[in-house]
Amino acid sequence: MDALAHQVLVAVSMGLIGAIVFAGIGLISGTDETTTLAPLTLLVALLGVPPVGVFTFFMAGAVAKHMTHAIPTALLGIPGDTLAAPLLQQATMLRNLGVPHIALRKMISGAIIAAFVAVPLAVLFAVLLAPFGPSISKAAPWVFLAAAVAIAYFSSGRWASVLLLVPFVLVIVGLQALTGKYGVKLSVSYFLGIAIGPLIADLFSILSPTDRAMMRRDRVKTFSLAPDVKGWSGYFPNPLKVLDRQQRNWTIATAAVSSATFVFSPVAMTVVMGELVGSRIKHAYHRLTTVIAARNGVTEATYIAEALIPLIAFGLPLSPVAAGPAAPLFNAPPRFFVDTATGHMNNLHTLMTSWEFLGYGLLSVVLAALIAYPFSMNYAHRAASFVARRLSHEAIIATFAGLIVVISVWEGQLLGFLVIVTIGLLGGLLSRRFGFNTGVQFMGYYAAVLSVPALTKLIA
Amino acid sequence: MKHSVLDADEALRPASVDISTGVDAQVSHLVEVWGDTVDIRHLAWSVALGIGISLGAFSAANYFLALYVHEVAMTRAYAMLVGLAGCLIAGAVCAKLFKPKRVVVDQSSDTARREEVLDQLAAEAGGLGFVADLPLPVVIEMKELGLYDVFLKHEQRIEAKRRALDEDFVTTNKSTSKEAS
Repeated sequence: MDALAHQVLVAVSMGLIGAIVFAGIGLISGTDETTTLAPLTLLVALLGVPPVGVFTFFMAGAVAKHMTHAIPTALLGIPGDTLAAPLLQQATMLRNLGVPHIALRKMISGAIIAAFVAVPLAVLFAVLLAPFGPSISKAAPWVFLAAAVAIAYFSSGRWASVLLLVPFVLVIVGLQALTGKYGVKLSVSYFLGIAIGPLIADLFSILSPTDRAMMRRDRVKTFSLAPDVKGWSGYFPNPLKVLDRQQRNWTIATAAVSSATFVFSPVAMTVVMGELVGSRIKHAYHRLTTVIAARNGVTEATYIAEALIPLIAFGLPLSPVAAGPAAPLFNAPPRFFVDTATGHMNNLHTLMTSWEFLGYGLLSVVLAALIAYPFSMNYAHRAASFVARRLSHEAIIATFAGLIVVISVWEGQLLGFLVIVTIGLLGGLLSRRFGFNTGVQFMGYYAAVLSVPALTKLIA
Repeated sequence: MKHSVLDADEALRPASVDISTGVDAQVSHLVEVWGDTVDIRHLAWSVALGIGISLGAFSAANYFLALYVHEVAMTRAYAMLVGLAGCLIAGAVCAKLFKPKRVVVDQSSDTARREEVLDQLAAEAGGLGFVADLPLPVVIEMKELGLYDVFLKHEQRIEAKRRALDEDFVTTNKSTSKEAS
């Protein structure tokens, strides 16, 4: 019993830390989940925090960030991160109607409800899929290859992305052979390089006079900040009362459907589900508020399912989220690892039971809601104003430039740094030019690590 | 913190008056990197500071921790923690040194913009709809927000316009047939 109490204590405190840190990060628009969640979760894993603590840190962080990224989306009209992009249209319309706070409240309430629906359902689906786990992990090299091709085809690059997997994977295999010669084995550097690729590519472009000419701007951007409107008494409104019955039902239904899907991109699911809901509602205002609640619920639910289902059922990062932001839950060498050659696995999949995933998953959602919800309700305007007026883009770039260097040097000294720059530049350019997005690139990395050895064995 | 038209005008000229001196020089130094506008000289400094401070923090921590802690993996993990703190410090330093290159205007609710949205909504696939179809909780919500009458008026206007157009259609049909002949 004492051990359990200790575990819960660890989980609560790590969840609180994750919720607070990522509620803050969520305010800074453009901070992608992979560039922030992955390195910090890795750090927590490497510092030796017990598995449940690592898990609640990640989950509470992801859910809290998802809530606060609604603030720049609703108040400034800038997507909080890639997941918020499909909500921008509704958010902007509500803002221009003079009710930005309604957009924010509907979004966040939708997210909370969806999170509570998604956690148990994702665990349930994972348990249903688990019997196939052993055969899937045995066939992992081929499953990853198929997943990489499928995710590439569904990216905006279509067939170009599918074919681009070949050179991209080759470069990774080549880089690994190179670093292997010096006894350096890298993994996090690849992830981070891929995630920050667009920044690295932009920094190279700026050095080239021809590209620089295209990036020049003769004026700064103007953002209009929506006014602060408080429409409730007390400290914060009851999230269940923010949505009406129809909105609650739609949010729950779409969240339930999207919890079952874990290989599709959250953005695509969000758009499809939003259209579905929108076509059923007659009045325009009601349509706006219902769609925005349901869409934000779908992004939340898909995100949770994409992290939880592969983690619980297979222990292999078989989805875009699991391969990106949630990667350290699967792979944080030397602590967590997957060895496909021997089939040996040591990560959260083996260290936690399904019941623990359910319990601590729900705990994370509660913690994130306790921190991020009242914060967003009361300080949204002030926080958005502070970030937009005080935090320069230069400062954000400085932080990420530092992050690239620290993580790569930590993992592989100079070689790590060279690899992160190479892969970041290549990935960034391919994504910019061909729509070969970061999700496909993550799968490309896994194809290089898992499928290529199996392929060569097959041919030899 | 009331930003007004004055600020928007200012935006066309220097972005951060406190750092740069040349107004014209400032304009030509603006570039868009990673989704937002930066001053290219500030960008160079912030990349240098970001790398310098965080790498410095990491290396120093790695060196000093190794003297006291003998478990290599732990030393490196804590050094990484210090290095990440270095990243944040670098970010804070650059935030202090370089002001944002954006103009933030307080958006006041203006009726013109509201009408624009209503027109946009009316043009969408589902149309504007009728407030009479709304369930009671939504009606209450819209009344609290002062949007009920706005939507009702717009819906009546569209209705009136449609009716007028129908009548117009009849009369113009007559007149065009006259003109044609």
